[in-house]
Amino acid sequence: MNLNDCYNFEDFRKLAKKKLPAPIFHYIDGGADDEVTLNRNTNAFNECDLVPNILNSVGEPDLSITVFGTKINMPLFLSPTAMQSLYHPDGDKASARAAEKYGTIYSMSTMASFSIEEVSNISNGPKIFQLYIHKDQSITDDLIDRCKDANFNGMCITVDTIVAGNRERDHRTGFTTPPKFNLESLMSFVMRPKWVFNYFTNKKFELANLKNKTDKGTNIAKSVMEYINEQYDPAMNWKDAEYCIKKWNGPMALKGVMSVEDAKKAIDIGCTSIMISNHGGRQLDGSRAPFDQVKAIRDAVGDKLEIILDGGIRRGTHVLKSLAAGATACSFGKAFLFSLGAGGQQGVEKLLKNMREEIKRNMILMGCKNISELDSSKLIYRK
Amino acid sequence: MNLKDCHNFYDFRKLAKKKLPSPIFHYIDGAADDEITYKRNSSAFNDVDLVPNVLRGVENIDLSTTIFGKKLDLPFYCAPTALQRLFHHDGERAVGKAAQKFNTMFGVSALATVSVEEIASLIDTPKMFQFYFHKDRGLNSAVLDRVKAAKFDVMALTVDTITGGNRERDLRTGFTSPPKLTLSSLFSFVSKPMWGINYLTKGKFELPHLQDYVQEGTSTATSIGNYFSSMLDQSMNWKDAEKLCSDWGGHFALKGIMSVDDAKRAVDIGCTGIMVSNHGGRQLDGSRSPFDQLKEIVDAVGDKIDVICEGGIQRGTHILKALSIGAKACSGGRLYLYALAAAGQAGVERALNQYRNELERDMKLMGCTKISDLNRNNLKFRN
Repeated sequence: MNLNDCYNFEDFRKLAKKKLPAPIFHYIDGGADDEVTLNRNTNAFNECDLVPNILNSVGEPDLSITVFGTKINMPLFLSPTAMQSLYHPDGDKASARAAEKYGTIYSMSTMASFSIEEVSNISNGPKIFQLYIHKDQSITDDLIDRCKDANFNGMCITVDTIVAGNRERDHRTGFTTPPKFNLESLMSFVMRPKWVFNYFTNKKFELANLKNKTDKGTNIAKSVMEYINEQYDPAMNWKDAEYCIKKWNGPMALKGVMSVEDAKKAIDIGCTSIMISNHGGRQLDGSRAPFDQVKAIRDAVGDKLEIILDGGIRRGTHVLKSLAAGATACSFGKAFLFSLGAGGQQGVEKLLKNMREEIKRNMILMGCKNISELDSSKLIYRK
Repeated sequence: MNLKDCHNFYDFRKLAKKKLPSPIFHYIDGAADDEITYKRNSSAFNDVDLVPNVLRGVENIDLSTTIFGKKLDLPFYCAPTALQRLFHHDGERAVGKAAQKFNTMFGVSALATVSVEEIASLIDTPKMFQFYFHKDRGLNSAVLDRVKAAKFDVMALTVDTITGGNRERDLRTGFTSPPKLTLSSLFSFVSKPMWGINYLTKGKFELPHLQDYVQEGTSTATSIGNYFSSMLDQSMNWKDAEKLCSDWGGHFALKGIMSVDDAKRAVDIGCTGIMVSNHGGRQLDGSRSPFDQLKEIVDAVGDKIDVICEGGIQRGTHILKALSIGAKACSGGRLYLYALAAAGQAGVERALNQYRNELERDMKLMGCTKISDLNRNNLKFRN
């Protein structure tokens, strides 16, 4: 099996599983508790049907949209995800270049394995930065200033990781950053010599954006979960978010909003966008799926907010359904991480190409010439 | 596999299965008929989604709740279950001490294998006694007097075992109390020698609340189904319950209420609480799950008496969902019985600690700092 055999999410996942040591694969693949929400995120799309219109002389549909003040070529972009160099030595550089090639957004995690400066040096494509509010405010301030200097297009503050989720697969595999070799996981590393070779011959693993500010997660074999619990501020509140929005003074989203009430508050404190997300089912299991919730939020906020639907996206039709239900754009993490693990930059490009083709084909089949034609009349919910 | 590998309900179940002779494991694990209700008790929680609120400042979480006039540190407790010394030689002593450590309620069954007097001398935290209404009125009043003298805080009359449920696994394995060696079960007892050694050497198996009055269960082997059918009074009615309630003179609950009408009648006869329960799916298969029925019952009587949701609880989020609907607390048997079988008191403590940690984490992720913050706005039912 190689990249040419990857036609869909499941194929990329399979190839990534072959290439990545088990603890690392399961860190991507797993969710919280019983993974009920993880599964629901995708299954939710199946409870709603697309209703096409025919004979609309569609021609070549226009897939472009505007989000974070930036016009992008397709209504889907890469979610911010941590530690991408664990999946491929090129890590964030590979994803950023692939996104640029397809004219869509690359998002950088606070816990990225390359720095804000490193990535902005190698890619001119649209970029947003995902901000964790740290207990030490100087870390937060520093990140915002550096993103300004690097001309990032937008920012999002993650608000659903106030405490680390219970990811039981990680308990079992002993996933830590950098990876800790225990006897049980050793075999899965030994069986993937290429990954191990790359890991030890490339740049030393680090949380590039934080290395000058903290030694956690860089020098110490500490699990990501512990990092979250120690460094992120559980007292974080609306004032803190508002402070960051003012300081940034540009397009800003809250990532992880699920309730209508919070979406309205996001408008009040000056957000331009929200990302409806449950962190890919990795935090609160049993919580609602983004697609189940998007319509209610759009109905409540009207056109005052951009809504990005993040979570469960595996198919072009999932994007179409999200947009028809009220989303401005979609983003995905797991799918692109598997493609990154499967084939680096080439893998991500292949995935983005697949998704662009799917979205385009499905737009034509729906009889839609541009994204704004996707509205609630195109959907019927099963009861 | 050992206790350290137990991260959730299912892990404890696996370890219990390894440690217990199969008739005993299946007595815990099994339920009535096709076990439809047993499964629904847990899966019902998946038909409703949690909707979190963000940025609320959630450093300190208070999980305490007050039921039956007693403040507990946790909004869940150990439901009364029979025959605990069959599962671990310390039986009720282990569960009671673990419950005391977490300052939550310990429910003692009429079919307990340690006496109320001993438990009262062992722990000083809140205690509930579960009462079976026997044909032998002398037995009934003797038990009531002993429980009163032992200063238990709550009396709970079980009303859903008027006859034995059809527990087919027990029919196949030949489970009886006390355990009987049959040719078919011989191998499973022989293959778990530690259980056998403990059973024979760690004190005689007794049912201290009953054995002065009945032979069945201690000197004569009987199945639990048979015991219910032959020893309990099938003519028990509301008058009997009312009389017992007034004879007891303290906090009194009916355990096994499922209909709104019955919940209202429980208020009328002077109950201070009810357990919405189907006996863990072990009695009437195809009957409604407690969580499915909770809303109607809370709406009818929730402002007058304590409504406890009992059955199917396997996760902190399950408790969160039940409390959001309006239950005052949750309880369960299997939620600690597998852990008891797996490792005695240490096992039960580990299980209770895990549920507490899950709840604390889930409360933070929900944006709630105390139990009273939970309400139906947190929930969305799927269509």
